[in-house]
Amino acid sequence: MNRTHILAALLAGAAFFLPLSAHSGSCCGGGGGIALILPKFYTEMIDVSADLEKYNGYWDQKGIHRADPPGSDLQQYRLNLGYGHRFSPRWQASIIMPYVWNSNIYSGFSSRTDGPGDMTMNLWYEALDDLSAWKVRDLKDLTPSVLIGATLVIPTGISPYDDVNSSFDVTGRGFYRLDGNVIVSKTIHPWTASLSLAYGTYFERTVNMEYGNYIEPYHKKLGDRTSASLSVSYIYYLGTGGDTITGTASLSQIHEADTTINGVRDPSSGFKKTSVGGSLGYSSTDHDWGARVSLNHAIMFDGWGENFPTTDIYTLGVSYGFR
Amino acid sequence: MGSGKMLLLWLLLVLTGGCSGMMDDIAPSGTDKRPVVACGITGPYVCQDAPDFTLSDTLGNMVTLSSVVLSPGVRGTVIYFTMWCPVCDMHISNMRSSVVPNYPDVRFFLVDYVSGSVANARNAELSNGYSGSGFTVLVDTNQAVLGSFHATMGTTVIIDATGVVRMNEDYKDGSRLKSALSALP
Repeated sequence: MNRTHILAALLAGAAFFLPLSAHSGSCCGGGGGIALILPKFYTEMIDVSADLEKYNGYWDQKGIHRADPPGSDLQQYRLNLGYGHRFSPRWQASIIMPYVWNSNIYSGFSSRTDGPGDMTMNLWYEALDDLSAWKVRDLKDLTPSVLIGATLVIPTGISPYDDVNSSFDVTGRGFYRLDGNVIVSKTIHPWTASLSLAYGTYFERTVNMEYGNYIEPYHKKLGDRTSASLSVSYIYYLGTGGDTITGTASLSQIHEADTTINGVRDPSSGFKKTSVGGSLGYSSTDHDWGARVSLNHAIMFDGWGENFPTTDIYTLGVSYGFR
Repeated sequence: MGSGKMLLLWLLLVLTGGCSGMMDDIAPSGTDKRPVVACGITGPYVCQDAPDFTLSDTLGNMVTLSSVVLSPGVRGTVIYFTMWCPVCDMHISNMRSSVVPNYPDVRFFLVDYVSGSVANARNAELSNGYSGSGFTVLVDTNQAVLGSFHATMGTTVIIDATGVVRMNEDYKDGSRLKSALSALP
C-alpha cells in the first residue's frame, strides 16, 4: 500500500465534502447534495456531519440583495449520516440521509419543524488515478484523478406539497433528481486543486396538494440544475507522526433553470447562487479517522445570485474509514 | 464493523419511518382530493360567498372587502397572502409585471399576516419595494382573515363582483390567475 496514494486520496476525498455541501439547504428544502467519496484502499466509510445554516436576506429576481425584516432569525440545522462502500478498485457507492430542524422567526411569524431531508444515493467510477507527485519530473506526474458519478436525490423530505404552513417548514424539494457528476483533482504536494461539475434533471411529478391544501392536480417539473465548484487545498504535516491538517478554499456556483407547470415554463422560478467556502480537515496518522470544520458563505451583494436566499453554512464532520 | 452497519441502518429506518406524508413525495398521487363544497354559503372555497372582512391598509385606511367588491367598475378582486419571504417576492414580482397591468378593472391586495402592526407592515412594504406598486397592502394583525380563507403563504384568492370566490389556491406562474381573471363576467 502506497502511503502517498492513501494520503492524496484522503486529501481529495476531504476536499470533496466542502464544495458540494454548499448546494444543500435553504428555504427550498434542506439536506441532500453532499458527496461521500471513499479514498483508495478503503472498503467502507461512515461519515457523520452537522450543519448550521443561517439565513441572511435573499437575492430577488433581478439579483438585488434584500435584507430580511428586522427581528428575523432563520436557521436550519442538519444532521447528515453517510455510508460509503467500495465494490471494486474503481467502483463505489454511498448513501446520505439528512435529518433537518427548522427554527424560524420571520417578521412576526414563528415556526419550528423537523423531519428527514432528501436522501441522496451516489455511484462513482474512478476513471483515472492521480499519482500524487511530490515533485513533477515527468508528464505523467501531471495526471489528475477523474471521478465520474451519478447521484439520485430521493424526495424523503417534507416538501411544499405536504401538509406544511409555509416554505420555512420544508425539509426537501419534493422531486426526484438525477445528477451526472465529474470531479477532476490533481495533487502536487502539498497542494491539491479540484474541479467539480454536475448537471441534474428533475423528474416530473403530479401535484395535488400545496402547503396543506388540496388543489386541482397539475404536472410540475423543476428546472435542470448545473453546478460547478473549484477548490484549492494545502496540506500541513503535524510533526513527524503523520497527522495532517488540510486547508481548503473553494468557489461554487449553482444554477437552476425555470420550472415548468403542465409543460409551460414559469419564467420567474429559476435561481442562481454563488458562494465561497473554507475548511480545515484533520486526518489521523493512520488516516482512518478524519474530522473537518467548514464554512460556506454566500456573497451577499447584488449580482451574485438571483431568486435565492443568502446563507452561511457551518459544518462539523467526522468520518471513519475501514480498509 | 457489523454493529456499525446495523446502527446506521437502524438510524436510517428510524429517521425515514417517522415522517408522515413522505410517501406523497416518493410516490406522488395525481388524485383530485379537494373536498366537496356546498355553493351559495359563506366560505373560502370556489363558488362560495367570500367571508367579509375589514382590515387597515399600511397607510391606516380601513378597507372592507364587500365595499371593494361592490364598487362600480370593479370586475374582480385579487387577494394574495404574503409573509414577504423570497417565494412571496417571486410571486408578487411576477404578478406585478405580468398580471396587474393587464387588468385595470381588478383590485389587487396583498394581505400581510406576519408583521403584526400597520407600522411593521408599512416597513416591509417599503423595504421590499412595493410602495406604489399597484397593490394595496392590508394588515391582518391577528391572522383572522388568513384563517377565514383557509390560506397560507402564497394563497391567491379571486372574488368576483358578486362576492363569490372564483379561485383559491397557491400562486404558481400566474397563468391560472390570468385565465380566471379573464373568465370573470
